[in-house]
Formats: sequence, structure tokens, C-alpha cells
Amino acid sequence: MIQALVVSNGIGGAAFYQSNAEIHYDVAEVTADFDPDLTPYDLLVVPNGSDHVAMLKIRDKVRAFLETGKTVMCFDGWFTNWLPGNRWIHDNTRPTKDVRHFIRTDRHQLLEGVDLRKFDHEKHGMSGWWACGRIECPEAADVVLADTWQRPLVVLDEVTTPGLMFLTASGPLGDFTFYGDPDGIPRLYRNALRLVANRLSGPSSDSRSNSTSQLQPA
Amino acid sequence: MKKIGLVFNGVWSHYAMATAPKYRDFYELVYIHDLTFGALRHLGALVIPFQSHQAELARRKEHLYQFLAEGGKIAVFGDSTPLWLEAQWEDRPVDNFWWVTDPSKPPVSHTDHHHPVYAGLAPRHACWHIHGVYTRIPAEAEIIQKNGDGEVITWQTRQYGGVLFGSTLDPVVEHGVQQIRHLDHYVDSLTAWLCGVRPEGAFSLDPAVYGVDRMDCMDDGGGVKKEEPCPKTAAS
Repeated sequence: MIQALVVSNGIGGAAFYQSNAEIHYDVAEVTADFDPDLTPYDLLVVPNGSDHVAMLKIRDKVRAFLETGKTVMCFDGWFTNWLPGNRWIHDNTRPTKDVRHFIRTDRHQLLEGVDLRKFDHEKHGMSGWWACGRIECPEAADVVLADTWQRPLVVLDEVTTPGLMFLTASGPLGDFTFYGDPDGIPRLYRNALRLVANRLSGPSSDSRSNSTSQLQPA
Repeated sequence: MKKIGLVFNGVWSHYAMATAPKYRDFYELVYIHDLTFGALRHLGALVIPFQSHQAELARRKEHLYQFLAEGGKIAVFGDSTPLWLEAQWEDRPVDNFWWVTDPSKPPVSHTDHHHPVYAGLAPRHACWHIHGVYTRIPAEAEIIQKNGDGEVITWQTRQYGGVLFGSTLDPVVEHGVQQIRHLDHYVDSLTAWLCGVRPEGAFSLDPAVYGVDRMDCMDDGGGVKKEEPCPKTAAS
């Protein structure tokens, strides 16, 4: 079972991460003295709408967590520099309504069973609703999804540290099962959890195809 | 001009608006965990945006009411809790797609356009979507906006000394996010009402303030200062 810690700054974001047979979540509430113990956990989740002043306070601890091979997932705009090797930049120079999602590299089948049309348009037909800005990532990191202008929106970084960083450009991800949406956001999140579980059970169980797809429309 | 404090829950949308070149000379981030009356004393007004930490606000309510008692203006957006407001907020489904079917009918049916924030605003500029309603408001409050069911969206009262303005709109978060591109009208009117000067020009973002290694309210060791207020939070 994955042991996960979700940070919470009082706006209800942790409610989207409910424990089940595969993962147990604890919640770390942000306080003035925020300094959670990360050592018992395999996974640190930073949901959409998190406190990045608080995360900056513990960035050395996050780095140490990743150095031990563990996983950090951030589904938010981290305007402070607490994630090693990766930077999120807000950008309004392109109209969000024109954003579409393109697969770049998916060596771990994170997009298996995911219908990207649901990222392009939400159920009322609106586009540009999911991610904001772009991620500047190391060249060797996997850009899983890029936008219309080929700016990274979803990044999987296994090169900066021995650990794993799975990052979105503020696109919310979680176990939003109450939406009844089996091939949208919840599927991408569950696929990412599958990767974490595979890493915990050993490198031989993580079947990596090492194939990098050509740029293709979603 | 006295600056406007923006209560800051460490959320990127709050940061994006307060550090945008158009607004950064008007707004000053006040990190929620540093909020004391001393941190507010030099400010003329305070905005408490949607996605604020309601439990922490409740712990600091005496600082907010002291600010009001000394004549300050406070504007509260989005949700709230009766733990610090004499009002009852209730959740409602968010209709942010009304414009797809009829762009002339936003989810507010009545707006008092005599209020300075709303004077001259077109209907869709006065309401883009709402996050819940108020089912109870302070005893002396006047209603500024209602939805089609007659539920209160926006209200204002002077019963605490200064002006306390409450609304379930979310102008700071949405303007920071920049997915809705017409919110300058509302935010500029709000800013002018709060500080007396109207911002001008187009909204833009400064890439240099993203990926910062420290905030002005943090000491060199990376911890938030305990003794001093956070006078300004921006890129170092």
C-alpha cells in the first residue's frame, strides 16, 4: 500500500484524496510552523490551490525526500522554487480557449485509457479550463503532455533526483471519482499511482517501453 | 495612496494578481499566518479573496475587527464562515457555463449599480459566476446583488466602524488565473473604491516573479519571521 501525505491549506483540496485499499493518505495542515515529517511516506501530494510559501519553507526536506527515491506530485502553480529542477511560469500571452493537449512522451503509459478530449473540452464544451501557464523542465525529463504551442503542461521527471516528480501546470488531478468520469482526470491520476506502486515493488515490475512517441494530436 | 492588503493563503492566483505589473503598486500580500493588526496598520483597505484559509481567519478575527473599528475597508470574496463573520454563507453549484447558452443572462438578476464598485459595469462584468450565497447577513447590512432566487450575493455594512463588503464573487482568484479575460472592469473599480486610484492599462504577467527562491516575508533561513509583519511579499 502506498503511504501518502497531502498538504492542506484550509480550502478543502485534501478531500479529493480518500484512502482506499491501494493508498493511505494522511493530511498535513499548513500552520505558521509548518514542518511535516515526510519520512514515513512514499508520496507527497500538493493539490491544486496549495500554499507555496509553506512549501518553500520545507524545500530542503522535499529535496531530501526525493533523494531517497520517493515521489512528489504537484498539481498546482508552484510560483516559489521548491521543486528541484522544474519551474512553473504563469503566462497569459496565449488565449486559454485555444489550448489543446498533445502527447509527447509516455514511457510509463500514464495516458492509457485516458480520453484527452475531456482535457480539451469540459462537459459544457469550454476549452482551456484545465492547465495554466507552462512548466520549464530539464531537457531529459519526460514532457507527457504539451499544449497547442508545445509548452509542457504535464511533466514526469526521473532525472533531476533519484526520486520521481509528476507535475502539472496547475491542472487539477485527483481521485475525482464522484464525477463518474472513468477515462478523464481520475484515470490519469490512477495511472500515476500505478507507477508509484510499481516503483515501490521494485524496478523489474515497472515495465517501461522506452518508446518515445512522435508528436501527435490528442 | 494607502495600499490595499491582500490576505494571502500562499495560493498562486492571489500571488499572480498582486504581482502583476498593473496591480503590484496597489496591492500588498499579507500572508495569512503573519496576519496581525500590526501588519495591517499602514494599509487603507484589505481584500480577503476566495480560497482563503477560513479557520486561520477565525483565529485572527480580532485583528480584522480592530482594522474595521479604526475606519478601514474590508472586502471579503467567495466563501466565509460564521466563526468570524456575522453572516451565513451556503454553498451552491457553480454555474460557470451560463454564457455558452445565453451570454446576456449571468447568474445575478439584481445589482445596485449605485455602489461604486458596480457603477458603469455591464451585467456580465458585474457577475461572471458565484460561489454560493448568503442566507444571513449582518443586521445593518444593505444588499447589493441578488440571484434569480432572491438569495444574497453581495452586501455591505458600516456597523463595525469602517466598511465591510461581502460577496460570493471571486474577482481576485479569477483575475489571477486569467481564464476569464474581462475582469479588469470589476477589479479596477474595486481597486479604485478601496484606495481612491484607478489602475490603468492591460493586465500582464511578469515572468521574473515566478520560481522565486525567497519571499520578502521569509528570513534568510527560509522561515517566516515571527516578530515582524510581512510588509511586502514579492520576488527578491
